Amino acid sequence: METDSMNSTTIPERMNIDRTRWSYLDCVLKKGGPFTDPEAVFGDGVISRIESAKILVIGAGGLGCEILKNLALSGFKDIHVIDMDTIDVSNLNRQFLFRESDVGKSKAECAAAFVERRVKGVKITPYNCKIQDKDESFYSQFSLVVSGLDSIEARRWINAMLVDMVDAEDPESLKPIIDGGTEGFKGQARVILPTISACYECQLDMHVPRQAVPLCTLATIPRQPQHCIEWAHIIAWEEHRKGTVLDTDDPEHVTWLYQKALTRAEEFNIIGVTYSLTQGVVKNIIPAIASTNAIIAASCSNEALKIMTGCNPFMDNYMQYSGDSGIYTYTFNFAKKDDCPVCGNLARDMQVNPKLTLEDFIASLSERAESQLKKPSIRKAGKSLYMQFPASLEEQTRPNLMKKMSELVEDGEEIAVADAALSIPFRYIIRYS
Amino acid sequence: MLKIWSMKQQQQQATKAEGGTKKKKVTAAQLRAQKDLSELALSSTMRTEFADPDDILNFILWIEPDEGMYKHGKFGFTFNINENFPHDPPKVKCRHKIYHPNIDLEGNVCLNILREDWKPILNLSSVIFGLQFLFLEPNASDPLNKEAAEDLRTNREAFKRNVKNSMVGGYVKSEKFDNVIP
Amino acid sequence: MAPPIATTPPVLQGPSAKEKKYDRQLRLWGANGQQALESSHILLLNSGAGVVGVETLKNLVLPGTGTFTIVDEAVVCEEDLGVNFFLEQSSLGKSRGEECCRLLLELNPEVKGFHIQKTIADFVKRSDLSQYTLIILVAPVGSLDVASEVSQIAWDLRQPLIYVHSVGFYSHTSVQLPPSFPIVDTHPDPPSTQDLRLLQPWSELLAYAKTQTADLEAFSDHDHGHVPWILLLLHYLEKWKESHNGEFSVRDDKKAFREFVGSHARTDNAEGGEENYDEALTAANRALTLPTIPSDLKSLLLEEECQIPRNSSANFWLIVNAISTFIKKHSLLPLPGTVPDMKSQSKDYIALQSLYRQKSQQDISEVTSNVRALEHALNRHIPIPDAEISAFCKNAAFVKLIHGRKLIINPLKHGWNDNSITTIIEHTTTMNFVSGKPSLFPILIALYGFDSAIAAAASVRPESNNLLAAASASPGFFTLMETYIRDVFGKLDSTSEDLDEALQHTLNIAREIQRSGPGELHNISSLTGGMIAQEVIKIITKQYVPVDNCLVFDGIESASAVYRL
Repeated sequence: METDSMNSTTIPERMNIDRTRWSYLDCVLKKGGPFTDPEAVFGDGVISRIESAKILVIGAGGLGCEILKNLALSGFKDIHVIDMDTIDVSNLNRQFLFRESDVGKSKAECAAAFVERRVKGVKITPYNCKIQDKDESFYSQFSLVVSGLDSIEARRWINAMLVDMVDAEDPESLKPIIDGGTEGFKGQARVILPTISACYECQLDMHVPRQAVPLCTLATIPRQPQHCIEWAHIIAWEEHRKGTVLDTDDPEHVTWLYQKALTRAEEFNIIGVTYSLTQGVVKNIIPAIASTNAIIAASCSNEALKIMTGCNPFMDNYMQYSGDSGIYTYTFNFAKKDDCPVCGNLARDMQVNPKLTLEDFIASLSERAESQLKKPSIRKAGKSLYMQFPASLEEQTRPNLMKKMSELVEDGEEIAVADAALSIPFRYIIRYS
Repeated sequence: MLKIWSMKQQQQQATKAEGGTKKKKVTAAQLRAQKDLSELALSSTMRTEFADPDDILNFILWIEPDEGMYKHGKFGFTFNINENFPHDPPKVKCRHKIYHPNIDLEGNVCLNILREDWKPILNLSSVIFGLQFLFLEPNASDPLNKEAAEDLRTNREAFKRNVKNSMVGGYVKSEKFDNVIP
Repeated sequence: MAPPIATTPPVLQGPSAKEKKYDRQLRLWGANGQQALESSHILLLNSGAGVVGVETLKNLVLPGTGTFTIVDEAVVCEEDLGVNFFLEQSSLGKSRGEECCRLLLELNPEVKGFHIQKTIADFVKRSDLSQYTLIILVAPVGSLDVASEVSQIAWDLRQPLIYVHSVGFYSHTSVQLPPSFPIVDTHPDPPSTQDLRLLQPWSELLAYAKTQTADLEAFSDHDHGHVPWILLLLHYLEKWKESHNGEFSVRDDKKAFREFVGSHARTDNAEGGEENYDEALTAANRALTLPTIPSDLKSLLLEEECQIPRNSSANFWLIVNAISTFIKKHSLLPLPGTVPDMKSQSKDYIALQSLYRQKSQQDISEVTSNVRALEHALNRHIPIPDAEISAFCKNAAFVKLIHGRKLIINPLKHGWNDNSITTIIEHTTTMNFVSGKPSLFPILIALYGFDSAIAAAASVRPESNNLLAAASASPGFFTLMETYIRDVFGKLDSTSEDLDEALQHTLNIAREIQRSGPGELHNISSLTGGMIAQEVIKIITKQYVPVDNCLVFDGIESASAVYRL
């Protein structure tokens, strides 16, 4: 705290000022080594590239805190961090930028302020919001994205966003994603080059969905403590407290579920329902520790440094880590899927006469050689243009058929065409000639 | 970074989009729902209802069984598909309080592919036909509504009578059910 | 109905403040593990840039390791601020150990930390190392003799020691465990732990199965579809034996038996099949095996400490001896007593579960009385806690014993422990068969070369650590590494082309080491600090399985390998 007052608003360090501080890092930035790409260039150019690059860190939790520290100590100067969460007491066993007095504050803001205070000359811009609140113009300002997320949904969203942003004419539009995840002593780090290598969606099968128990088991033949807790969670809550939105962070709510589960367990002579287990089941708690986060976050940051500077080849492209029994890593190339619904199915340009009616447009689609469509259904984001099935939707969208394309779709907007002949809907960007 | 771009150029395809688009895109979940819906071949006993045709992630499915014990009833199910579809299954609830061994009084439905057996390769069609099947062959062995299941198991005729009573909004034991006769 | 809020009783067994803070880790190592962490004292002997050690401590302070001590002679310089997060502008010119200690302690008010500004050599000479639970020694120590001395002291004290290098994109972590390091709670994968005794059922289980399935054919569809698969398999095994001269051959009959079971599933119901029969068929392969004594446990039973228990033996060995007596009598392990979830009525499942639990309790009681008899014979006065015996019995099949080995500080001087030259050549030349990438063992050889070069440079200018950096940047430094590496390959004494290729690769690694300063890169030190902290936690809690014994990480390929040296 002693040092921050003088530094908090200083302008970033300029080039060719004293770099003594970065002596260790500069060793690998000033010259190549035996394993670097012979074409790579080293020296001031690389240093200024890393200093001027804008990097986005998604998530300021267990991985995010580590990643911010690591990037700041890898010479990055313009780091942005986005996280909608606030600090909870259960974060303090690993999210080392937060203290007990920070509980309740924004993770992104707290983490950014701490690292700025500690590492002289780094600027960290926090965004206390959901990633979905930001649009393409926001994401397009970054050179690289490092994500430490705990949700599949958020990962799929940012992945699709960055894949879609790739513009074949513009090298700047391709933003590598480095993604990390952990569970207990295990974790994984991966490098995704959108449209070039396997994307998150290509790898979705790696995530085994949580084993669910049949509802009827919960309702009539519970056998495990988890069954009783799930019953309280899914069935009893709605029966007795309809209208109250269940908040699994509210101790009163969790206690209620715990008591219900306990009573039910006693009724069936099941042992093992505890408050802690109740919390674990209803919040789907995944064990998390500082050391695993450190490993995965540092692996991600190491790849970020290598990609941005070329100081050594970067990982190709997926590392699994397990520390349960000894330490075991498995690094391999995850193959890109040709039929990936996200990166195997990029939007193409389509020249269209704006005066064409939707009906004529659909007819013209069927004539296109590449598609050979039979009964195409067409939508754009948030709007159904014409759906051939089901019948009620067909009826509701039929009036659009007579409308002109220009009334329905703006120039540059994306449409999706689904048809029985297509394994995944085609996407087109409509361009009016 | 330059290296990555040259990798990109090597695999360049001619038909890609030219300039980026700043407009909103169709999400992966919506694409998949569009595909599933556009391939939905509903029999005459089923109908969908979209409150907003532009929101294809939320709709009602109406089933009017033309055979079996639930013949003459009309049953509505709310479908709610989230943005994590098809990784997550659609959430389906019965809109009425009905007397059925596999549907509880809150409208929860016990159908394996809606929960423990859901896989992303399954589609809306599989779910819809699963629901239809529940009315043709109510399953007494693993019930959500224990009393209904007990009745079905022990006295099929009494169960049939109870179904009839419940469907017109009558009582079964002390429980009053919704009228589902259109 | 009363308002729901009013009916909710206050939190009865709600978590304490500490349990809330540590919730995410207690789900891994539990209260016992946490207790072990909190009563431990970690010693960090720091050197070089010193980042890897401090990053390790960060990962140990956060989960609540009781106490740490940093020994570091260095004074904070400008270079430190670009690589070490636990220093700040105002730290410049102050004791590095003190500043790191202060900033680390901010992470967790429950942890105590101390710092000592001394050289490692000085500290080791004048201190009693027995007060520490575990020692972390960071290379390059400068003098290989000092490193050897630390290793010897830890070895004599039976104290775990971790020796680590983090240089440029490479790191190495060696774990020196005591000669005998037993682990009971290894956390095996749940599916691998099933031991249901279907082929050797005890009499109560068999009798229960018989009564429960006597009229199986006459069961209603509902009852028939809810018989737990354990009872189904027991039932059909008896039927099978009736028609096969009382025999069931694990080797030959499994396939036919599964068909036999499957043929009895009812298909004329609403679902067109029966889930419990499906489960029985899936489970049959794993469940129909004869229980065996795992090889790890077998070798434990042969250990001298098991066979000749003494008054002073660790509890562990007395329990192993008691289990050995149990095995001699029954040719079986104590039953773990856990039953997987399966399709069945609640009461049937619970009844089956209690049957297994009762049998498990019976076995535990027998082992416990063996232990008590042994205690009596050995004249031990403090009884081993029941919980310890019971935990051992339940985990018996997965108990592990690691035979710790002494660190290799300098293989040219002390050899490669028990490894033959052939093994070392194999380590050096074997490609990763999945990736087709070269072995990571050359990284280790190059790091030994690095140590030796540093030691040579330091012997000329022994004053301080910063001189090491200056020495290592000199052009002669690579030649020193190269000479060492060539000497090692000379000892391998082979003319194989593979080995020559490996030599060239090792020299390239040495060039990469030279290029990096040689200093620490924050990312590699942070990553390695994470791995070391995992090892420390596993060793201190005696849960999970630590590395045995040498781990190499390559930050260029993002790959690791473990060697037993």
